[in-house]
Amino acid sequence: MPCPSPNFLRALRSPACAAAVAAVLAVPPAHARSSPAAEAPAPEVMQLVQRAVATQDNRGHAFAVVDKKRARVHVFGGDGTLRGSSPVLLGLAKGDDSVPGIGERPMAQIRPHERTTPAGRFASEPGVNANGEDIVWVDYDAAVSMHRVRTANKADRRLERLASPTIADNRISYGCINVPAAFYDGQVKPALGSTHGVVYVMPETEAAEHRFPFMRTPSAR
Amino acid sequence: MKTTLATLGVALAFGATASIAIAQGNPPTTTSPNPATAAGQQSPAGGPMGTTGTMPQNPSGSMGANSAPAPAATMSPQPSAPATAPMRPARADRN
Repeated sequence: MPCPSPNFLRALRSPACAAAVAAVLAVPPAHARSSPAAEAPAPEVMQLVQRAVATQDNRGHAFAVVDKKRARVHVFGGDGTLRGSSPVLLGLAKGDDSVPGIGERPMAQIRPHERTTPAGRFASEPGVNANGEDIVWVDYDAAVSMHRVRTANKADRRLERLASPTIADNRISYGCINVPAAFYDGQVKPALGSTHGVVYVMPETEAAEHRFPFMRTPSAR
Repeated sequence: MKTTLATLGVALAFGATASIAIAQGNPPTTTSPNPATAAGQQSPAGGPMGTTGTMPQNPSGSMGANSAPAPAATMSPQPSAPATAPMRPARADRN
């Protein structure tokens, strides 16, 4: 590597150059998801985590927080220590509630606007689906689970959606939470795949306080 | 000869001392420090046995025949379920 000239080094140290570098660093990268700051939990997520642990809402269990607005999941230990984060695929339709009885209906009978991922606090449990795949039940009655991303239907382009930097295209499932297979095996399964846990799904149509009473305590303000 | 007898005497004396020491050790006992449970069956759960010797009931009632499964989604804190609860039946999920 050639040694830079003294004039070039002097130019780098000039106030004008420093300002230019600062301006470049201040611009959010186009692939925001790939930056460490974008992968860190959002402040709303951390507020939920702090209140959940402080009020022992998680009962000491490991837990996951699904940030629907950012299409991300964060897995935490029982003490609130962040273990990992990942993009996720969520239900196609915007909404925070499941249609009554949707868990008993075949997927072919679920209409597009009914394909929601419900928000709230869910006591998760390890389980198996009808195909014998190990999954984590988020809402057993509504048939909502967290599982490895499914690629059988090529038209869904699920892997591409997970890899893309945009969020809107992460809405494709019938309500389940799809995570990358490596993330499932490395983070979700060790934390929630063998014992009971908690999954907090943050709402997208209302404030989190409406879904999580423990966030309404005075110290949360 | 005298030396041999002396050696034999020392050996016998040592053996007698060792035997006494062994005999004075505490032999194993089958008695319980708690006389109330010495001859009977102890409660594996550590609670009272009751008059019929039945197991203490789980305060949460989760083992009872009439207990309903906990709801999967709750809006308020619920008592945590036992970690060893059996899996629910396999069923189709929402993909």
